[in-house]
Amino acid sequence: MTTPADRLAPSPSRAAFSATARYWLLILPALALMVVCYLYPISKVLWLSVTEPQPGFDNYAMLATSASIQRMLMTTARISVISTLITLVLAYIVSYALVHASEQVRRWMFLGVLVPLWISVLVRAFAWFVLLRREGLVNNILISSGLVDAPLSLIWNETGVLIGMIHYMLPFGILPIYANMRDIDQRCIAAARGLGATRAVAFRTVFLPLSMPGVVGAGILVFIFSLGFFVTPAILGGGKTLMIAEYIKVQILEIVRWGVGSMLAGTLLIIIGALLVVLARVVDLRKLFGAV
Amino acid sequence: MNARNSALTPTRRAILKAGAGMLAAPAVLGAGGALAQARKEVVVVNYGGAAMKAFDEAYVQPFAAQGGRMVLDGSGPLNGKILTMVQSRNVTWDICDCGVTTLAELGPRNALEKIDYSIVDKSKVATEFAYENGVVNYMFSSVLAWDTAKVKETPTLADFFDLKKYPGRRMVRKDSQAMLELCLIADGVPFDKLYPLNVKRAFAKLETIKKDVLYWNSGAESQSLMRDGECVMGLLWHTRANVLKGETNNRIAYTFKDGLLQPGLWVVPKNNPAGAEAFRAIASMQQPEGQVKLLTAMGNGPSNPAAQPMVPEALRATNPADPANAAVQAKINAAWYIENHSKTFQAYLDFISS
Repeated sequence: MTTPADRLAPSPSRAAFSATARYWLLILPALALMVVCYLYPISKVLWLSVTEPQPGFDNYAMLATSASIQRMLMTTARISVISTLITLVLAYIVSYALVHASEQVRRWMFLGVLVPLWISVLVRAFAWFVLLRREGLVNNILISSGLVDAPLSLIWNETGVLIGMIHYMLPFGILPIYANMRDIDQRCIAAARGLGATRAVAFRTVFLPLSMPGVVGAGILVFIFSLGFFVTPAILGGGKTLMIAEYIKVQILEIVRWGVGSMLAGTLLIIIGALLVVLARVVDLRKLFGAV
Repeated sequence: MNARNSALTPTRRAILKAGAGMLAAPAVLGAGGALAQARKEVVVVNYGGAAMKAFDEAYVQPFAAQGGRMVLDGSGPLNGKILTMVQSRNVTWDICDCGVTTLAELGPRNALEKIDYSIVDKSKVATEFAYENGVVNYMFSSVLAWDTAKVKETPTLADFFDLKKYPGRRMVRKDSQAMLELCLIADGVPFDKLYPLNVKRAFAKLETIKKDVLYWNSGAESQSLMRDGECVMGLLWHTRANVLKGETNNRIAYTFKDGLLQPGLWVVPKNNPAGAEAFRAIASMQQPEGQVKLLTAMGNGPSNPAAQPMVPEALRATNPADPANAAVQAKINAAWYIENHSKTFQAYLDFISS
């Protein structure tokens, strides 16, 4: 004999199963793959940061005590911030031109934006070396045209690192900003002009605010990319610009201080995670990554 | 060299497949009996490039002639990679082409096999370069090179630090090894008083030219900086200096004088798959004939003293281990590195990036 409660109990749970659990089952394989191939190895690496060389948070304390790590973090932050800002300004200009170009011109411009994406970062760094070095193309043109007397130091310093990094990141700045600008209703600007605003005022008060979500999204993306640069600073910085990626590589591969290396990797991961959380609050992530 | 590389890989795969087949099918075990008696395959790891072809001719073929099986892997045996293999108990390398910093970082972590000197012949190397966890495979030097288009007379190591006498950019390795020694020698420290290294004094010497120094990471980078005239003088490996000298028609010159003679070392990761066969392979590579071939192909100096008289007259000037060249150089002291490498290297990176 069944009680009413017995008869009632299964039906809501079956309803819950069909509503959400079935979808969870669908993504279970992907989730399992992520856990096995990504989360497990990463947690093993992070585990090193609190166990190597002895258990505890000594490695993380180095963030506060080690002058070497602090200087490297400052260099990384400074270069990342500067390169992100310059990338955003340039990307904004290119995106603005893209949105307002005719269909055919836009196609050619996109080719110019996307082609560098498929060239290895190493090849690009060496290409910049050929262009920027003391007896390189840029300096030769500047000197022969009489613009400068002595060759400019365009490489082997932070200038060189910034040029290489900004060039690399421009497409990552342009694409999100362009995607956002494309969705701005051009009639809003027309309306502002119709109501008597000059071009500058219409841009400043209507177009610019509407394009800000794209700029913020691109900014965080580009900043995250720039934090992890390795090849470009190592080659174009003349060996003097030590950023976090190279620092970690030395700790892991050369002097095998795995605790310090994994602590820095963990720190980087936390910073990037926090930035992505901020990003998700400002813009629709799905749109940012999928709109183009 | 890539053709050689790809020619080797399928062979190795084929062997592995054959091995797997044997495990899977006990029925063929009888037929596999002859294979089981064959000697184990020894995997030798170096940094690839031109070394693949040169090592093949100098070492792999002679070892095969003695019935051994040696396979080259050019993926670069960095300290961290070796330690990862050893700690995860998944060692696939038998012999690694390393240096004293590997002794310093991996020896204390118990990641290296002790060299079996009952198989490897200590009398075929300079005893000072036969260590507990590693044995010399070839000799190389860190030397002074200069651009004769900009530096007219032969400079001394002290001139490297004299920006008034020879203005222009200098090039130094992005690694403390040998660079600190050369700073101290330039500052007047005699060879026999070099160790223990006075790191502070070396940094102070480098500080005097720091604003005009570029630091190279890879050997290829050191070549390109000198070849393209970015630097007027540089401290680099003699092998690279020698290549530069040839390809620039002597525009780049170099000298062994006041250089630092260093051993390239064979090390064997703990619990290597081929076991003692690795030491038999190392012993085979001690034959002077192969070492002279390596010198001819890449400029690596023979480690077996018996090889020196066999070096052709024309090559003696390029051989870092040649008695005449060795006499004007300092020699690296591995014991100091075992104690100090980790912190000195980090301090050096901090110094150049500040």
